[in-house]
Amino acid sequence: MARSRWKKTLWRLSLLVLVLGIAAGGAYYVYLDRLVSHQFEGRRWTLPAHVYASPLELYAGLQLTQADLRHELARLQYRRVERLERPGTYRQQGARLDVALRPAVFADESRPALILSIQCGATAIESLRDSAGKEMPLVRLEPLLIGSIFPIHGEDRIVVTPNEVPPLLPAALKAVEDRKFDHHHGVDPEALLRAMWVDLRSGQIEQGGSTLTQQLVKSYFLDPRRNLSRKLEEAAMAVALESHFSKADLMNAYINEIFLGQDGDRAIHGFGLASQFYFGKPLSELDVSEIALMVAIVRGPSYYDPRRHAKRALARRDLVLKLMAEQQVISAKDAQVATAKPLGVIARGAGSYYPAYLDFVRRVLRRDYREEDLTKAGLRIYTSLEPRAQEQAELALDRELTRLDRGKRASAALEGAVVVTSPQSGDVIAIVGGRNVAFDGFNRALDGRRPMGSLVKPFIYLTALETGRYNAATVIQDAPVQIRLANGDLWRPENFTHQTYGPVPLVRALAESLNLATVGLGMDVGLPKISQTLQRFGLERLPPQVPSMLLGAVDVTPLEVAQLYNGLANGGFRNPLRGVRAVISDDGKAVKAFPLQVTPVAPPEAVYSVDRMMEQVMERGTGRPARAVLPANLAVAGKSGTSSDLRDSWFAGFSGSHVVVVWVGYDDDMPTGLTGSAGALPVWARIMAGSQEVSWDAPMPESLAETWIDYDTGERVEKGCTPEAVPIAVPVGTQLPVKAGCTNSPHTIQSIVERAGEWLRDIIH
Amino acid sequence: MVNSTACTAYLARYVAIAAFTVCLSACGALPPMAPAPPSQPSPEAGPNARQTQPGPRPEEAPSEQAPRSPPKQFHLGPAALSLVSQAHKQSQSGDLAGAATTLERALRIEPNNPLLWIELGGVRLSENNGDQADSMGRKALALATGDPQAQSASWRLIADSLRLRHRNAEAAEADQKAAGLAASFLGAQGR
Repeated sequence: MARSRWKKTLWRLSLLVLVLGIAAGGAYYVYLDRLVSHQFEGRRWTLPAHVYASPLELYAGLQLTQADLRHELARLQYRRVERLERPGTYRQQGARLDVALRPAVFADESRPALILSIQCGATAIESLRDSAGKEMPLVRLEPLLIGSIFPIHGEDRIVVTPNEVPPLLPAALKAVEDRKFDHHHGVDPEALLRAMWVDLRSGQIEQGGSTLTQQLVKSYFLDPRRNLSRKLEEAAMAVALESHFSKADLMNAYINEIFLGQDGDRAIHGFGLASQFYFGKPLSELDVSEIALMVAIVRGPSYYDPRRHAKRALARRDLVLKLMAEQQVISAKDAQVATAKPLGVIARGAGSYYPAYLDFVRRVLRRDYREEDLTKAGLRIYTSLEPRAQEQAELALDRELTRLDRGKRASAALEGAVVVTSPQSGDVIAIVGGRNVAFDGFNRALDGRRPMGSLVKPFIYLTALETGRYNAATVIQDAPVQIRLANGDLWRPENFTHQTYGPVPLVRALAESLNLATVGLGMDVGLPKISQTLQRFGLERLPPQVPSMLLGAVDVTPLEVAQLYNGLANGGFRNPLRGVRAVISDDGKAVKAFPLQVTPVAPPEAVYSVDRMMEQVMERGTGRPARAVLPANLAVAGKSGTSSDLRDSWFAGFSGSHVVVVWVGYDDDMPTGLTGSAGALPVWARIMAGSQEVSWDAPMPESLAETWIDYDTGERVEKGCTPEAVPIAVPVGTQLPVKAGCTNSPHTIQSIVERAGEWLRDIIH
Repeated sequence: MVNSTACTAYLARYVAIAAFTVCLSACGALPPMAPAPPSQPSPEAGPNARQTQPGPRPEEAPSEQAPRSPPKQFHLGPAALSLVSQAHKQSQSGDLAGAATTLERALRIEPNNPLLWIELGGVRLSENNGDQADSMGRKALALATGDPQAQSASWRLIADSLRLRHRNAEAAEADQKAAGLAASFLGAQGR
């Protein structure tokens, strides 16, 4: 009796355990199913927003050499041919380029495909004609696609849609990684067994036997464990995924998800980004050998890294090509041709990939657009980025930092950031967030908040001129200053040279960035007024109203400096800096546009006078070293900035066409040993010298007159009378002390003779 | 040598000044205190058009005693001109946003041309955006130095923007400035 009862109990208990076990297993499966489906839905790559650079406007008179133009065409993937074929090709006929332009969609209109003949002069475009020989006033090249983003996720990915994927890629992936992909239910038992057999025989895990779906699951959860229970979990999740989603969805997810390489701290996920990373071009333009290399890399992105292990990668690529031919994905002949090609991988960091700018675009979108507008599929985002300016800024920063790094700390490399704007529109045309331009990490241009140092000084001088009590020739004292601070401490600022300069005119105090003279001037004008000036020019946070603010104890980002200096370059008009011009929905309607805006924020006379003083920074002051690099006849204005202990090296300034702001320093805020003139200025000068700069040439307001003064004393002189004569702008009728004996010097006569000569020529003409 | 060259130059200059003064007094072309306008602006002149010291700066060429060159006049280059006529068509068909976008395109080609800022200000006016019309008028005015016709048009835009915001007294003042400049421009043209 007792025994049978015991037996019964045992029987019931086992049944319970079994039921519980099945229930638990089922529940676990449901859990895994939820987990993986949620993950898939959350990262489902539907239609991303396409982000475009500013299109290049071609017109007669545009300063662009034929070489520049060919470079622009190459960036847009135009191929040079002997005979024009389809759109996307061009041919050269001496000074003329015939271009078969692709059709293009801009923010405001569409243009059909077009044959354009561009006659190039030595420095500029001479004429544009269509195929009928008719002259065209202007033609836009199509805008460069600089990325595809999900404005809300803000992920660093170049997402591709199925129609941007060359059909060869999924075919090759299937041939090499998962032959039964189209038919299995997530796992391929046969492949798994085969892999296990190989692994057993060799005593180590050689073959994965994983389906593409399993690989996708693995990529979602990035679990490093490679044991049996983990494999079972992955298999269960793969089956779950297959039950919910179509093969096409899964393939698209795989193509956008899979890990394909490492760029410093940045993981390269998805074939879209990898195509840029390895080949510098869109996925849709890869050829057979390039696709084969990408498929080769899938198996082991670090083991088959084509930059570090070129031989291995090449062998694996050729194996992939062989497999593709065996599976009849390509013909044997195609495989042979592709096998003969080199790897074709570009140097790191090259290509049209501008993560720092995309980062800026994402932030602008999140700030200025409603979320529901941005989640719409198929948006087109038109930005102000000018690839040419961006390239130049990247190159200049890299070259100069490499030079500056020599003989510096071995443990850390100098870092830097650049922002370039168009002063009249406030368009941000280039952003460099750091030295590794392909790295989508810490964006120093937007997030590097550092003391601005002497970059604040032009705003102090501007505020002083606005009071009407000062002009550029007014003599102020550069003498020791002591200021009792609110906490009772005594503040004793010093000049950079630890010297004092005595009486100096305003123009010299600014040009040579004299601290003592500036503190005296600033205290006289008043801290609140100076703070207000900075705010009017666009500084959003109110700077601290402490005396050390006069020497730049104001933390700012390079982008904020660009906003401030843009106002100086634009004659006292503030434009909100603009990265996104328009967002267009897929039905062609503007979701929202950011029209050009200007707001007068300072009297044009005071701004003009300060700008002229900033020209003297370049001629005689801390910007002078740039003169050795800049074209001799290029008029520019600028200001250096250096924070205490030489931690931050700044230079900000402008020509007639661009505002350029450069910061150089260490990420860990250690001293660099570089002043603004030694660190940031060479970068700045290289950018200014490299681009098609137009001289700063704002018209002088009618209430001002140009006059020449002695740079040391502020006394009025004739131009050329002394080597120390500098031009300034002062209100008409300003009485200045005259330098004794300066009118009779031979210089003056010479200059009058010259002027008369010019006069005569003018009259005769 | 130097002396004789100087003498010839002085003589030429004297004759020229005299001729110019006669002309000025005859037609009353310029207001007596009009400042020396900078030499020709030239959107077409291309980059590096201006010289830095020690070369002569355009602004300083006519010094205080030197006679004044005739007022300059801004023109639109062919590319900007075609965009302006496109913008006019867009405005007429009621597409003000499109017109503004087209004018912005023109401004990227000739950012320092006051005529384009006046055009864009006109679109803002049609959009009832008095503040931006005003700002664009002032931006145009700052660029129009030396060109009385463009200055006059800038003031007219500013006057309209003030009227739009019911600041009639200031608008009347701006109108007066526009009229004064227009007179000087017409005078100069008659010369």
